Amino acid sequence: MTAMIDLKNVSYRYPVSDDSVLKNISFSIEKGKFTAIIGNNGSGKTTLCNTIRGFVPHFYKGELDGEVIIDQTKITDYQLGQLGEKVGYVFQNPFIQVSGVKDNVFEEVAYGLENLGIPVEEIKVRVEEVLKLVKIEYLRDKNPFELSGGQRQRVALASIIVMDPEILVIDEPTSQLDPIGTQQIFEIIRLMKERGKTIVLVEHKMDLIAEYADDLLVMHKGELVMQGPVREVFADPEFEKYQIQYPHVTEIALQLQQSGIPLTFLPIRDEELADALNRTEVAAHD
Amino acid sequence: MKQNILLQLHPMTKFFFTLFIFAVVLISPGYIFSFAIFPILILIAMLAGVAKEFLNIVIKALVTVLIFIFIMQMFFYPGENVLWEWGIFEIKQEGIKYGLLLTSRILAIGSAFILFFRMTEVRDFVKSLEDIGLPPMGAYVVLSTLQIIPEMRRQANTIMEAQKTRGVETEGSIFVRAKAFIPTLTPLILSSIAGTEERAITLESRAFSAPVKKTSLHQLSKSNMDRALPIVFALVVIGLIVWRFFL
Repeated sequence: MTAMIDLKNVSYRYPVSDDSVLKNISFSIEKGKFTAIIGNNGSGKTTLCNTIRGFVPHFYKGELDGEVIIDQTKITDYQLGQLGEKVGYVFQNPFIQVSGVKDNVFEEVAYGLENLGIPVEEIKVRVEEVLKLVKIEYLRDKNPFELSGGQRQRVALASIIVMDPEILVIDEPTSQLDPIGTQQIFEIIRLMKERGKTIVLVEHKMDLIAEYADDLLVMHKGELVMQGPVREVFADPEFEKYQIQYPHVTEIALQLQQSGIPLTFLPIRDEELADALNRTEVAAHD
Repeated sequence: MKQNILLQLHPMTKFFFTLFIFAVVLISPGYIFSFAIFPILILIAMLAGVAKEFLNIVIKALVTVLIFIFIMQMFFYPGENVLWEWGIFEIKQEGIKYGLLLTSRILAIGSAFILFFRMTEVRDFVKSLEDIGLPPMGAYVVLSTLQIIPEMRRQANTIMEAQKTRGVETEGSIFVRAKAFIPTLTPLILSSIAGTEERAITLESRAFSAPVKKTSLHQLSKSNMDRALPIVFALVVIGLIVWRFFL
């Protein structure tokens, strides 16, 4: 497997600040993997996303040390415009992610494709498909400025995935959505993964991360403190130190363990809890 | 929406028509001809189904200015034939004549432009400019301004509400409202400036600066009429120039 995103000893400091926001970060993400970045507020998650997308150092100046390599090419060798096609970035604030020149959602979603110079016929087909995928067909004639937060968040996601980038960087895509909407977004992300996209997601909803993501990167005060497959990271006792939420079921399981109930393994998905308990019971009966 | 031949003309054709009126008015002598253009414009507005808004704007925007200009010219234009006198105020025949000429031209040209913008979606106009070479950056600036103004108004309301909950008085006498202006305006301006950075990133994430030629869902088509009319306009203008200056 080839590394799609590769960071080597990356540190970054914003222009007017004294502290580095990212401190000596190294990791590598393989093509087609779904990696979640977790960490508390202010731990540098969004800056890390900006770095992968090339806004650091192309847009935000400041000091960037180390190497960021996207698809075998150094980020400094790309032009900002070229990265648009390669790395799709859905960012946090859905209220600002509107182009501001289109009067309806259909054209809003098509905007990125127009900029990429895709023929009109193909744009129409692709936009239709994405509207259906993200379940916003009913919004097609609405003005993007008149949507609710959740609707805007879906439009923002649609506007990026329609461009079909190889890498998707998604920063808290569900902050404005209800549980069903959140589940749907994760289903879409899963679908993107099935299509071979490399996905980097920032999220606080651990249950869903446990269910969908392959790997975890744990950020703490600008440092990358843990990385590895989701299950291993949650099972590592070190994780507790960083005061990040566990998936609910893991939390329960840890409580159970503390009160003396043995578990064969630490469950991270709801349906695993019974399994973890059952097997021990079977073992006890034997 | 109703199909209307006039509204469906290419924005450039409509723009040429406006320039045509502009040229005709400047070339033609006297005020009678220029005043005669206004009813023609009203007729066009009626045919295009925009007469009501058109007249509304003309009355609001132009008429006061015109009356003011006319009065100024009537009293202060230098001339000999005094018609009426009161203290330092003298109405002179030359003044009236010049006032009529000036107002007739402003009326014709001003209302021609108003009619143009009543009949043309700015979006279409910008698109047609883009087709003849306006850079996408310029087109973006024009179009986004149009959309951002209502958005800013919404934001201003939000800020106003927020300041109200903090105890800033926003209702009452003019003085009270004026005082509320600063705490409303400052955050609005500051947040707009801060917003530009995020907007730039939004555009960038939509590949705005991708090094390729952009395509557009929004296409304008030219009919035969659109090809013929500019030529007609040009011929008439040339004819007028010849008639006015060479015959």
